Amino acid sequence: MDDKKIVGLAADAEYARWAYRETNPEDIFKKPEALDDMLVIDVSSGSYAGLFASSLLSELGAEVIRVEPPGGDIARKMSPYGVMIKDSGFAYITEGRNKFHITLDVGAKEGAKIFKRLAGKAGVVIETFKPGYMDSLGIGYRQLKGINPGLIYCPIHAYGQFGKDAERCGNQPDYDITSQARGVIMSITGESGLDPEVPSEYKRPLKHGNWMGWYAGGAWASFGILAAMYHKRKTGKGQLVDCSPPEGLIAISDYAMQYYHMSGDLMPRAGNYDYAVFPYTYVKCKDGYTFIAGFTDPNWAALCEVIGRPDLRAQYPTTRERLDPKNQPDIQHQIEAFTTRYSADELLGIVNAYMSRPDRKGTVVVGRLETPGEVVQREHWQDRKTFFETDDPYYGEVFIQNSSFKAMSRTPGRIKWVCRPIGADNDFIYQKYLGMGNTLLNKLCKAGVV
Amino acid sequence: MKQASSYLDFLRQEFDVGRLFDKPEPLKGVRVLEVCYVVLGPAACDYLGEFGAEVIKFEGQKGDQMRFVTPYAFLWKNMSPGLEIENHNKYWVGMHMGHPGAKEIFLDLVKRADVVVDNLTPGRLATWGMSYRELREINPRIIQLHVSGYGSWGPWTGRTSYDGGAQGMGALAHITGFEDRGPIKSGVWIADWVTGLMCAIGILAALNYRERTGEGQFIDYMQVENVIRWLDWTWLFTAKTDENRKRSGNRDLAICPSDLFPCSDGWVGLAAFSVDEFRGLCQAMGKMDLFEKFPDPTVRLKDENARQILQAIEAWTRGKKVEEVEELANRLGFAASRVLSANDVYSSEHFRERGTIQQYDDALYGDMVQQCYPPRLSATPARLKWSCRPLGFDNEYVFNKILGLPQTLVKSLEEEGIIFKWDPGIPSHCPPADWDGVSGKKLA
Repeated sequence: MDDKKIVGLAADAEYARWAYRETNPEDIFKKPEALDDMLVIDVSSGSYAGLFASSLLSELGAEVIRVEPPGGDIARKMSPYGVMIKDSGFAYITEGRNKFHITLDVGAKEGAKIFKRLAGKAGVVIETFKPGYMDSLGIGYRQLKGINPGLIYCPIHAYGQFGKDAERCGNQPDYDITSQARGVIMSITGESGLDPEVPSEYKRPLKHGNWMGWYAGGAWASFGILAAMYHKRKTGKGQLVDCSPPEGLIAISDYAMQYYHMSGDLMPRAGNYDYAVFPYTYVKCKDGYTFIAGFTDPNWAALCEVIGRPDLRAQYPTTRERLDPKNQPDIQHQIEAFTTRYSADELLGIVNAYMSRPDRKGTVVVGRLETPGEVVQREHWQDRKTFFETDDPYYGEVFIQNSSFKAMSRTPGRIKWVCRPIGADNDFIYQKYLGMGNTLLNKLCKAGVV
Repeated sequence: MKQASSYLDFLRQEFDVGRLFDKPEPLKGVRVLEVCYVVLGPAACDYLGEFGAEVIKFEGQKGDQMRFVTPYAFLWKNMSPGLEIENHNKYWVGMHMGHPGAKEIFLDLVKRADVVVDNLTPGRLATWGMSYRELREINPRIIQLHVSGYGSWGPWTGRTSYDGGAQGMGALAHITGFEDRGPIKSGVWIADWVTGLMCAIGILAALNYRERTGEGQFIDYMQVENVIRWLDWTWLFTAKTDENRKRSGNRDLAICPSDLFPCSDGWVGLAAFSVDEFRGLCQAMGKMDLFEKFPDPTVRLKDENARQILQAIEAWTRGKKVEEVEELANRLGFAASRVLSANDVYSSEHFRERGTIQQYDDALYGDMVQQCYPPRLSATPARLKWSCRPLGFDNEYVFNKILGLPQTLVKSLEEEGIIFKWDPGIPSHCPPADWDGVSGKKLA
């Protein structure tokens, strides 16, 4: 790769070259995998929390067996506007990565028996059924730990496996929207409740555009599984990893809980304002939106110089004024009076020019709000192999986000294949782990078990 | 689904919060050196710390910026809540990392450490002679994670990245907000928190690998790329349609129905995608004709169908109370939940029973009630031991006890300005005003 591209805007060019050599994407497939001694069974159902958890483990080398009901997981149908590529939607093709796909009706007696044999060999089981469902089939943690004491069993559900709400709402399925709703962050995300210019119909809680509840739930699940795995490597002992996705959001809801404990007050919905750091906001510009930040006194002084408004600095001299919810709409609109005259790229140029001045007062940061179409074209992401493109024998041309663990110097994360059709690996997996040949599989298939 | 009572009894016993401290910690014995500031890097280490890693946090003389990032400039007993949230169970050192005398001390600690995490400008550790290149020479088992917006190499390496900027550059902001309105930033520093989580996962994977092979490694992690990774079907949609994914408020474009609905007394998040779930919902609504028209989930997702279905649900919820909708969901098997605020969770029996919200008596700040990181591990649960600390609060413990330097030498390091403590003139550096000078000190 061209040295100029490698070094980019690095403060230390030699370091950048060294880091490139250590984490060159071209070398990924020559290197070992961190978790290739782990066997994970993902029997999740209609939940991208389960799918994301097993995706992360699979990127890091774990062998993942996806167990779907004979008709396929309903998650395959979760696709924008219902658009499908053969048996799967866009979301499933994205998170089907590196997994073997088998079918099994765990609700049938024969199916449960087969599942039990398979789980006896596994290091990890991930499931997202209603709490207690697997237990009622005789294949929950209580029953499996008897035959496999080292098993790490990870059920994922919006209400968790136990607790008052799990008992009350355990008959509800696991969904992203309910996880976001229970995760506190939604209560403080959305258009500003205090800005008079926001029409009242938009003053309501807002979810993140992506499946933040499910993805956070999945990431926390794989975090917990790997912590449990580390413990198991030392002690041989498995355990139950009860993952409730809303708790994954509650855990990261900034200081909402702390502030309530300390003051007895709730934080309001701030919109693009921020009551702990401001200006730190999205502003309109000529061709869209840009992020702009200049919070501490020196940085605010710099921002006021950039936009040519020394009077604003005098009007809002300390962080106390700038963090006052009453003042933030005015500060925002004053900054926008400047930024709307320029495109996002022009603003970046203005700020970079200011930042190179020896007499600058502080640091101003701007950053375009990119559209997805812009992101995929950026050279930086292309060079870093942020996306994975392939011509899949079944799904055709596919373009998805790559593993974000690619730059581990010794055991980089990777995608080996994208998705697999429903039941595509039945022959291989049932033969490999249970010695079940075609004759038996055909029989089970006729009975609707596989 | 009604859980068997024996299953619930089993779980209550397995997860009894009263026994938290009687159980082992999964990351006991893992020593982490944190050369981080603001939210992302400290959060990555915090996740490890609540599961038992010993995290030693290094701060410069000005102090972590989060000592100054606090709602309405509010301080509580001289503590900034902005600093509290990503710093628990840690050991606090004030050290001038760029000082020539600091290098030897730091490298001595690296010999006895397992993980080094930094979120400084890429290459900053290298200029101090403390990058992975040097660290692995003295400890081949060391795992070093560097995290920054754009990573350690590539056309954009060196660009500054804040959470709000990362949400924008990774296109999360573009897809968050109402259909006919502008993009909206998350109500929290989401791109910091979730990137920190993925850093912790990378570190755990590396620790697991090291357990097998004895080999450490270097991890270069990118915040903006992490945002990109989390955007589910966005990228395949872009590639296949040549269109940008649109903002759609609370409506889920890939699951129908899944949206936020107004009730007579608040909001309810509701979803029912499978045939059975949707049947249950339509039954609750007394609108079986809607079910008969749209039993097929994929057909429901077509834009005009989705709008029609969501409208019908809204017309129904408007006349209901949130609790009524939740009860119907429990009975008929679809998903529905109110939007919880911090106070709901704070006082919830459910979250206390699960150890999601834990209460502890902090030696400096007294009674604390706050969230403890998930998931809930039955044999090796996470726990809160103490909160954040004043600048340099644990210098003696770290240099005297862990590193074994004689007290006289620690004193002279302080005199040379290599290590230091809080500046009494800066409140958010300091212990509470009424501190007795002893409480909370680990080697008083």
